[in-house]
Amino acid sequence: MTNSPNKNNRKAILVTPEVCIGCRGCQTACKNWNQLPGQKTKNLGTYQNPPDLEPTAYNIIRYSEIPSEANPVRWLFVSRRCMHCDDAGCMKICPAPGAIYRTKEGAVAFDKEKCIGCRLCVAGCPFDVPRYDKDNKISKCHLCYDRIAEGLQPACTKTCPTGALRFGDRDKLIETAKQAGYSKIYGEADLGGLGSIFAFKDTPKLYGYAEKPNIPESVIFWHNVLKPLAVIGLGGAVAGALIHFAVIGPHKDEEVKKS
Amino acid sequence: MVRKASVAEIVNHWILAVSCILLIITGYGFLFQLKPVYALFGSNYTMKVVHNWTGIVFTLSLFGTLFNYLQESLDMSIDDWNWIKMGGGYLTKGHVDVPPMGKINTGQKLYYLAILVGGLGIIASGFAIWLVQGTRTLTLLSHLIHNLCFVLFVVAVPAHIYLGTLANPGLLQIMISGKVPLEVAKKRYPKWMKEIGKA
Repeated sequence: MTNSPNKNNRKAILVTPEVCIGCRGCQTACKNWNQLPGQKTKNLGTYQNPPDLEPTAYNIIRYSEIPSEANPVRWLFVSRRCMHCDDAGCMKICPAPGAIYRTKEGAVAFDKEKCIGCRLCVAGCPFDVPRYDKDNKISKCHLCYDRIAEGLQPACTKTCPTGALRFGDRDKLIETAKQAGYSKIYGEADLGGLGSIFAFKDTPKLYGYAEKPNIPESVIFWHNVLKPLAVIGLGGAVAGALIHFAVIGPHKDEEVKKS
Repeated sequence: MVRKASVAEIVNHWILAVSCILLIITGYGFLFQLKPVYALFGSNYTMKVVHNWTGIVFTLSLFGTLFNYLQESLDMSIDDWNWIKMGGGYLTKGHVDVPPMGKINTGQKLYYLAILVGGLGIIASGFAIWLVQGTRTLTLLSHLIHNLCFVLFVVAVPAHIYLGTLANPGLLQIMISGKVPLEVAKKRYPKWMKEIGKA
């Protein structure tokens, strides 16, 4: 099921909403490094801006006001971006070779030159992450694959002043988060293990994440059943024709005269 | 000689055949990310453009067939049922007398109806994937239907090609000159010959 080649070297971003101050330095740093222009947005009555991921916004801070009994003014900040799934729905459904690919660090990166603009990745993503730019090409967080390949950390984690975003070896990040008292790490095992992992203090739903994220059933059925069937079907039809030709042979009109 | 297929029918059938095979080849390219297939077209994007626009040609051509085969394909009788029961005589080595057939036989009728239904499915879902954006459920449903129909095509089309060439020597001539020797036509299409008064 997994389409990640190298588990040992896998990098990840650990998001700890508890220590996020909602400064959005990560959003700005991302735009800066990836040379993404600002977009005109509108005030929707929340500090969340832009309202969701955009072709020019690879990451955003999601602001959720969720009062609890203990805390009537509870405000949750969480970084939203590509999850760099180990079993990535976008990679599974993508028909264009090389358009979405896995780096050796485990990032799900993309090549606009090879993208054919079919938008199937949008439908295959369990987290509604991929966006399409004005040229109708895929656009999303790529874990700063160009930086991490050179031993740097992604722009967003580099700029984060509080440690709400931390980059490093995935195994080590999970270990430190567990030592810090987070018993369950969101994304530790989901979809083969996510490359964006979350130390949630409360249920993932409160932060806007599905309890159990999944690749759409139809995509799994297509991958496991229809794809093999397309090969078996063609092979079977051709083999059937050859066997028929060898065993029974072609229709002969002359035989009509004999009978 | 009897003319069995009109020039328009022959031309349309070849347009349908070539576009269909091109769509199947590019379809396999998409399905398994086959780099050698993409390479035939120069770039990923070019192959998608070729697939989509060939789809338009295929669509028009399939609608063209409605005038040639639909009416006859829907006209089934007890002879057709008996034909099915004996597998059209294709399952026995020696000669068997099959029930009298019209201009097209039961197998061809069933093949046409399958291609028509599968074709409409693959066309509608194809255009939905291509042109309708921003509706995830529709895209996923279309993706599923497109691939289900694709499986039908990759099974039915090779069978059709085999039955029209190797399995029935001389049959291909109908898709080239459109004509059949009178004697052959009398044996193969007795009901049709009766209809046009040549029996």
